[in-house]
This record gives sequence, C-alpha cells and structure tokens, in this order.
Amino acid sequence: MHLRIDDIAKSWGGHTVLDNVSFNAGENEFVCLLGPSGCGKTTLLRIVAGLTAPDAGRIVLGGRDITAMPARERRMGLVFQAYSLFPDMTAAANVGYPMRLRREPAAKIAARSSELLERVGLGGFGARFPDELSGGQQKRVALARALATEPAMLLLDEPLSALDPAIRGQLRTEIRSLQRALGIPTIMVTHDQEEALAMADTIVCLNHGRIEQSGSPRDLYERPRTRFVAEFVGRANLLSTSFVRDALPGFLERRPPGPEATYELCLRPEDVVIAADPRGDGVIEDTTFLGNLARMTLAWRGRRMVVEVSGRDALPRGESVSVDALRGAWVSA
Amino acid sequence: MASIAATPTARSRPRIAGLLLLAVPVLALILFFLHPLATVLWRSVTDTNGAPTLANFARLLDDPGLPRAACRSLAIGIATTLCTVPLGLCLAMALHRSRLRGTFLIRGALLLPMLAPSLVLGLGLVCLLGRNGLVHRLTGLPTDIYGFWGLLLANTLYGLPQVTLIVSAALARTPARHYDAATSMGASDARQFVDVTLPRLRFALLAAAFLVFTETLTDFGSAVVVGGSYRVLAMEIYSEVVGQLDFAMGATLGVVLLAPALLSVWLGRLAKRRQDSGDAMPGRPLTPARNAARDIFLGTVSVIALVPLVAVVATVAYVSVVKLWPYDRTLTLANYTTGMPDGYGPVATSLGVALLAAVAGTILVFALAAGLRRAPPYVARPVQFLASLPAAVPGMVLGLGYVLAFNHGALSTVFYGSATLVAACSLYHYHAQSFLTVQTGMRQAPEALEDAVVTLGGDTRHRVRDAILPFAAPAAISAFFYLFMRTLVTLSGVIFLVTPDLGLASVTVMRLDENGFLAQAAAYAMCVVIAGALALGAMRFLLHVFKDRRHVA
Repeated sequence: MHLRIDDIAKSWGGHTVLDNVSFNAGENEFVCLLGPSGCGKTTLLRIVAGLTAPDAGRIVLGGRDITAMPARERRMGLVFQAYSLFPDMTAAANVGYPMRLRREPAAKIAARSSELLERVGLGGFGARFPDELSGGQQKRVALARALATEPAMLLLDEPLSALDPAIRGQLRTEIRSLQRALGIPTIMVTHDQEEALAMADTIVCLNHGRIEQSGSPRDLYERPRTRFVAEFVGRANLLSTSFVRDALPGFLERRPPGPEATYELCLRPEDVVIAADPRGDGVIEDTTFLGNLARMTLAWRGRRMVVEVSGRDALPRGESVSVDALRGAWVSA
Repeated sequence: MASIAATPTARSRPRIAGLLLLAVPVLALILFFLHPLATVLWRSVTDTNGAPTLANFARLLDDPGLPRAACRSLAIGIATTLCTVPLGLCLAMALHRSRLRGTFLIRGALLLPMLAPSLVLGLGLVCLLGRNGLVHRLTGLPTDIYGFWGLLLANTLYGLPQVTLIVSAALARTPARHYDAATSMGASDARQFVDVTLPRLRFALLAAAFLVFTETLTDFGSAVVVGGSYRVLAMEIYSEVVGQLDFAMGATLGVVLLAPALLSVWLGRLAKRRQDSGDAMPGRPLTPARNAARDIFLGTVSVIALVPLVAVVATVAYVSVVKLWPYDRTLTLANYTTGMPDGYGPVATSLGVALLAAVAGTILVFALAAGLRRAPPYVARPVQFLASLPAAVPGMVLGLGYVLAFNHGALSTVFYGSATLVAACSLYHYHAQSFLTVQTGMRQAPEALEDAVVTLGGDTRHRVRDAILPFAAPAAISAFFYLFMRTLVTLSGVIFLVTPDLGLASVTVMRLDENGFLAQAAAYAMCVVIAGALALGAMRFLLHVFKDRRHVA
C-alpha cells in the first residue's frame, strides 16, 4: 500500500513542530525519519498513526484520505520505544490482544499468536510475562503484537534505542528481513544515522520540523545538499569557498553560483587523500587506531580536518603529509 | 491486507466515553462540593432576606466569646504544630536513620490514630487523665485534662503519624550516596544531619507543619470531648448551629475558619511542590552508621511520644469492658451486648455509609484521574485545582454547607437525612487525598501503553481497563480503604447531617460521652477501631496478593 503525506503542519503553543512536511512511502518501502531530538519526527509518526491530529495537511493511504480517521481504525502496527507491553499479560496474551479486541475465536487467536511469536524468533516464550523477558525479547513481542493487527503499515518509533549494541545490530537485520518477507511499507523514526543508513530504502532527514533532504542512504551520504545533512549523516569536513579556492581549486568549477557564504564543500573523511611526504604542507596531529580503520586529525593550511584511512595505512603523529581530495559535494550552508 | 472502514458512529463513540470519564466526576464535584461551599460563603454575606450585607461579620466582633475562640484556636494550632513537628521528625529519624530494632512497634503504634479518630483519642484522654480518670483513681493525684493541655495532647497524638509519614517519605528519597560523600569528606554524624539530612527535609517539614496546623485548627472531635470550657472556633460553630440554630452566624464563623485553613494548605502545597525536585532514583538503600548516643536519644523520644498514644487507646479498650466507669470497675462484656443503648444499629449504619463513600468515591476519583490524563491543560488545570481544594475546607464548614444547600431548598426532598448525603459529605471532605493517591499511582501507567491500546484497535474502555488499571489498581485499593476508614471515623463533617433516624457510630460516641456514659461510648468507639483495623488488615492483604499476582513493577 502506498502512503502519501501532504503538507502536514503542526504547532504546539505557538511553537512550530512540523512545517509543511510532504513525502511518499511506496509499496514495500522502508522509510527512516532521521533527525535530532526535537526535530518533529516522532510527532510526524504519531500523526501518521492517528494519535495526534495535524493542524493542516492530508494523509493518504492506498488512495484513501485517512487524515480524520481515528487511530483505532487505521490498523497501523506501531512499535514504541519502550514500556508498551501489558505487564500483567503473558507474551502470547499480549500478541493476541488486538485479535481479542476484534472478538476472534479463542482457538484462532492462540494459533495465530504462537505463529507470530515463532515468526519473531520467540517460539516457546508465549507463557512468559514481559518482566521475565530481556529487552530485545520484549521488542520482538511488541513487533509480533503490531503484526497481529494485520497492519496496513508498520510504524517503528526508535524501536532499538533502549537496547545494547549487540542486540541492536541483530534486531536491525531481523526487522529488515521480516519487513521484506511480509512486504509491509514501514516508517521508522530514529536519531541514529548509522541505523538509518543500515536499514532504510529511503531516509527522510528532518530538522526543525522541515525536511532537509530525502533520498537513498547513499544519496544522503555522498550527495548531501545541506550543511545539516552533511554533518548529521556521517562525518564531514566543511570547507569555505575561499579555502577551496586556495587549497583545492579543482572543485570550484562544480560549485553552484551564489555569494561566497552560501555554499561549502563537504569532504567525507575517507575522501581526503594523504600521503607521507617530508615536503608536504599537512601535519598529522593525532591518530586513533580503530582496527579496520584509522581516524586522524590533520592540520592543513590553517585548519583541522578529519581523515580516515584503512587501519593498515595509519600514519604516526607528527608525520608530514601531502593532501588532496577525491570527491566532494557542495552543500548550502 | 485488511480493509479500512470508518463510520461516523464508530468515530464519535470513544470521544463520548472519554468525555463522560471527566464530566461525571466534575459535575459531582460541583454539586457536592462547590455548591455547598458557595452556599456557606453566600450565607455569610447575606441577611435573612438574601440581601448582601457584612452585618454577620460585625456581629462576630460584638460577641467577646468569638474573637477569644479564634485566638484560642490559633494558639492551639501553633502549639500543636510546635510539639508535633519535632516529635514526628524524631520518629521518622528513628524509623529511617537509626539502628534501633523493633521499629515495627513504632509503625504499629502510629497506625492507632488512623483507626481511632481524634474523638476516640479525646475520650481515652478523659478516661485516663480526667478529673475522675484512671490516673487519679490509681494514684490519687489531682488530674484535670480539660482545656488547653488536653487539646494540645490530643491533637499532638493525632498529628504525629501524619508528620512522621511525610518526613519519612522525604528521608527515603535522600540517596545513600550523599551520606557516602559526606562520610568520605570526614563529616561527623551530627554534621551529616545538619548538612545532608535537614536541607532535604526543609519542605517536608514545612508541608507537615501546615498540615498539622490546619487539622488542629479545624478539628472538632477532641474539641468537643476534652476542650471543656476552653472553647475553640469549631465548638462555637457547633453551638451556633446546633444550639441556637443560627445558621448565618455558623456560616460566618465557618468562613473565618476557612480563611487560615485555605492559606495554610496553599503554603503547604507550595512547600510540597518544591520538595518534589529531589532525586528520582534513590539508589541503594541506606544503612545508618553505628551511633549509640543517637539511637538512645531517638529511642527515648519515640517511647515518650508513643507510650501516651498506646495508653490512651488501651484505656478506651479497658473502659469499654468496665461495668460502670469510673465507679464500678468490674470487668464485663455487657457494654458490647445488652448494654448498648442503640444496639449495633449506628455501627451498621456507619459501615454502610463508609462502604458507599468508598465505592462511589473510588470510582469517581479513578474516573477523574483517568479523564485528566488526556485533557488539554486549560481543562486539566482548573479541574486539578477543584479536586484538590477539599483539603483546604474544614469538615465542619463542608457539613454546614450541606445543611444549608441540601436540607433546605430545592434538593432537600431528594437528599435530606439520607445516608447518601452523609456519604457524599465525607467523600468530598476526603476527596483531595484519595484523588491525589490515585493520580500518583496512575502516573506509573506509561502513556505508550495507552497509545498501544488505541493503535491496536481499543477504545476508551479498553484503554482504562488494560493500560491504566493494572498500574493504578494498588493506588485505587489504597484510596478505597482510605475513604472507608476515614468515613467510618469522621465526626466533624457529618455532625450537622445526622437525624434521629440516621445514627452514626462516631456521633453516638459523642452523645454518650456528653451524657456521661463513658463505658458505653468506649464500647462504640472500640467497634469503630476494630472495624477500622479489620479494614486496614484487608487492605494490606489485598495489596500483598495483588503484588504477588501481577507482574507490574
């Protein structure tokens, strides 16, 4: 089913939370709403779920306008950040809850609940209460329960944020493959750019209630259009036009026209090329060895830059280097 | 994929349910609280024809007895506060910051005033230290408890558990790491008390002081039993209304009583709000260091504070099984059987009224708290204020308001002399505390769970039952028994509402005491105490079972 968000606006007490936001989520697409806290991404998710009413705009799901439809009829499978399981119900009862609300026969509910628990890798855990499950297992139960509504869409609100890193990575993969297998369009809210890059088909990057840029993860990383996206997604060295004119004049010809301060060049750390050179004008100020890669601070022509190379090519502190750049993207400042 | 269908009826239903959740309790608050209160205020500033006048207040000053009563009320209030707060602080310290063993004895003794209303404490004091009291009989010492000292003692004993409770809560919130830090910097126990403990108790002590002051100022039970010729404001209201049927004067005195109570509760609220900015996570529990001097001091104070309390209640129990107090002290159970002048009728009525108030009150308060969860601030704020306001309204003032509002006028045919009215009066007298208890309990229900119910297809009914109730049930149980026990023992609120056909246990105790039938009064009092104790036991048991069965943290 196809979701269209049209010019959604929302403000609270005079403070604009969402400023005419529009985007599409296609059939089977996994969309990540990415942004810092307070950017309006959770509000947008709640508006899609029907938990919050927008001030203006439309939400169209599968060709139907659902803007005024109450949340309980939307069949959005929502998975929350935390504390959303019924503590006094077993895992199976939690999963069966939406089916019980629909008054389905008990036998069918039991069968479907255990099937869904099986599906999220919790076969045999049905009789446990939430406080007897780990954080990751609770998330799986919440996911199974969301699927029990036979949702038109899956909405995930920072589902992995409260978990420890190992489980987070594992669940990331599992959610993604489950979503592919079921073919449900999904929107996930996250402030973790790494998570967004790893999971999304499309990232919608929000800041101050506006969409800064939307596109594939590669798009956002390699061709950021704004300074905010450049800095929020991955690491970036942002160079002013005058610096580029002196140091890397080759990049000037692709600069969009405009006054001096309107554009900056974004160089990703791995796009800065350094080579040990006693006559080079760059100096390695600091090196952090991270195993597969090494991150270095480079002092070059009066400014500092972050450089990343393969761990094998790490240079020691104090080394003189020559500097060049492979790729760069002009972003609006 | 499931089809998505929306019909207009399906859309409007949950909204109506959500609205009812808030509207019914708010309307009840307006009818049974705001309306009688407004009636009292109105009567105090109008004459018999209903024309506005300030003559009532002028009349107050003409009668030299009334300003004197006001001064006495203030004096008793201040003296009780000054006695109760330090004692309560010591008791709380003994419970939380000492290595004393047997603190369960302290906890147990502190339960007594909860079961025995100020009236019963007063009765016990009279039997123990009155002119013909047990002490006089046994030692021959001339004892006379009536007056200032009797009131001070009765009110102090009554206020102690409340102060201890408030201070204990604040002590429990002070994290152990603060003491660790102080110890590592070389602070002595005394220094730690001054530098770590006291600063975090400031607002709790203030809140407790204002609470005790208000309660003492507005207390009727001990005033009527041990006040004697030392007449305080509450007694004056009582005699204006019951003795001289001067409702306008009663209402005016009520307003005079209301003003300091309102001020005091407001200041107490301010103090309490400040205190909440403590640590949310208390961390590991505190083990007090060894300090014999501290423990001996706290132990001694606890004994001094609590022995009278136990002695007073024990005296009531003893007197209740005596043939003819104080002249014939042969032990007998006659006071509980043939000797009961009104039989068990008043006790049964009290139990019925208490049950009614508790059932209706818990439902209303729960609905109000649940309804407020999703209300916009411009609705929530005034309703929150209205729901907490009863804490500032003395029971006598509310009771007087009920007489003026319901016993005369349009609603009198429906309500006059009914148990419902007595239950309502008590329920709204104790509304604030039960409401705040349930609301605090409900805060533990995560909003995400409510959202989950809604997105999974549930309506308001499911939201309350499945997302809120599991978390708020212990608080609702507490509120239920709080209302039950308070209604069982309340006197000040209902004193004007009882009719000859509707006898209540607490009122019967007062009447028997007035007529000198102390043994019979004590027997009725013990019935109330025992019923209260059973209710308390039932509550503890229910909460325990609940905790075991539910997986709610």
